[in-house]
Amino acid sequence: MYLFRLAMASLANRRFTAILTAFAIALSVCLLLAVERVRTEARASFASTISGTDLIVGARSGSVNLLLYSVFRIGNATNNIRWDSFEHFAANPQVKWAIPMSLGDSHRGYRVMGTTDAYFEHYQYGRRQNLQLASGRAFATDPFEVVLGAEVADALHYKLGDKLVLAHGVAVVSLVKHDDKPFTVVGILQRTGTPVDRTLHISLGGMEAIHIDWHNGVPAQGKGRISADQARNMDLTPQAITAFMLGLNNKISTFTLQRQINEFRGEPMLAILPGVALQELWSMMGTAEKALFVISLFVVLTGLIGMLTAILTSLNERRREMAILRSVGARPWHIASLLIFEAFALALAGVVAGVGLLYVCIAASRGYLQANYGLDLPLALPSPYEWTLLAGILGAALLMGSVPAWRAYRQSLADGLSIRL
Amino acid sequence: MRRALLALLLMIALPAWAAEPRDLSWQEMIPPDAPVEVPNMTPLHDLSNMADALSAEAAPAAKQDLPNAPVVATLNDQHIRLPGYIVPLEVSEEGRTTEFLLVPYFGACIHVPPPPSNQIVHVRSEIGVKLEELYQPYWIEGQMQVKPSTSELADAGYQMEAEKIYAYELPE
Repeated sequence: MYLFRLAMASLANRRFTAILTAFAIALSVCLLLAVERVRTEARASFASTISGTDLIVGARSGSVNLLLYSVFRIGNATNNIRWDSFEHFAANPQVKWAIPMSLGDSHRGYRVMGTTDAYFEHYQYGRRQNLQLASGRAFATDPFEVVLGAEVADALHYKLGDKLVLAHGVAVVSLVKHDDKPFTVVGILQRTGTPVDRTLHISLGGMEAIHIDWHNGVPAQGKGRISADQARNMDLTPQAITAFMLGLNNKISTFTLQRQINEFRGEPMLAILPGVALQELWSMMGTAEKALFVISLFVVLTGLIGMLTAILTSLNERRREMAILRSVGARPWHIASLLIFEAFALALAGVVAGVGLLYVCIAASRGYLQANYGLDLPLALPSPYEWTLLAGILGAALLMGSVPAWRAYRQSLADGLSIRL
Repeated sequence: MRRALLALLLMIALPAWAAEPRDLSWQEMIPPDAPVEVPNMTPLHDLSNMADALSAEAAPAAKQDLPNAPVVATLNDQHIRLPGYIVPLEVSEEGRTTEFLLVPYFGACIHVPPPPSNQIVHVRSEIGVKLEELYQPYWIEGQMQVKPSTSELADAGYQMEAEKIYAYELPE
């Protein structure tokens, strides 16, 4: 124990270099943990976004693309599918429930989704949890009603009864708005930690109504305009939707129905199993994740080598210190363990400061990440894997500390005997 | 000198005076006397259904695989071990697959016709399995449940509550 105290006192004597060294290690540890944490949390949030859905169907494109735009609101659909194709498969005896989705519009950067009551009833996330309304109700028969996700309501300070205008396209700043047909907020969903929080839900009829007088790709002029009241009295059955989700009576028939949809002769469509598409997405992201992980490991290595350099260069200056210690009766292994303690103390300080820094960063960036990327980084204790990483760093530091320890061990005897240093 | 200064002043002032641009809206780019576009609410054509009509004439409907293949009832309640590939259905937050279909060959998803219903086992697992690759086969141990066909609904099939799941390795 006195050896450890001695090591600390020696470090305190060189506190400026010691603090810098520990800080370099802290930064690298923080980077490593941040990469690891973002990776696991991104995976967890992806995995918890969809549950209980057996098939997702959209226009023929790629399975990952379809999964991303239909569930995660990332990217855009390549094409719409016909409403009667949806009706055809919704009526299939194997199908327990079907949720149509119509995408493409937005409100201040938040995506708008046209759907039906079935969405609130059957869509599940996390561990088979249904959507819950925090206040208000689901949209009813009037087409101009909107149900907000929790994040939309929070960020834009909407409450029940507010009027809002949807914009054409998915840009954050939209120049073309559907301002002749405002929507009323009738419900706000509870927070789910999924992209649902960042979505505005309207009925399919509402989606049809705001586009009813768009003919040549622009809103109609003058007499061609159709007011909100006129639209209410029109037939608002959609012609096309973007995608739909299916729940089946029996999971075993998943492949059969998937096959039927993919070979549907009415129009080219693609049915995917969300779990399989998610797995494909992960194996694609896996390479990038591994690259990031390796880079941050090398940064940690650089930090540790910096520590090694600092200790090794200090050895020369401290030959007198070692010689004095030897002269008062310290054995060579005392000197060696002194240096190992020193390396360990530096690494430990670095690791602790790095973890602290990580938590400060998480606390500072949490709201921003949640609002802009839908990524929820909890201030949780390190996971078992993170503990092993930290222990690995300390182990590596001990290993590195043994290099100067070995040199000091060899030199201490000769130095102690020579008169001039 | 004074003249030069004046010229300089003019150079600065003139553009500032002239350059206040007019805000233009996209709507103004359509002439006001453009023919009023009367929305046509009836579909212009019904070609959307042409594919159906043509395909009905072209060939018989796509052949269905056996959605309701017979099952072996005696396998019910037997404790068995079965190798197969995992097609994930439910993935937990920790990234573990807790519900999946077990199929006899990889690629049962899309490349070839799907296996008949008596070649698929619907497996649930409490702790789940961490899938790294879809093409890694696994052994599944557990109690087999056979659900016989009850109606015209294709709900026959094998189900299993997995007790153990571990990677399948080629026998030495």
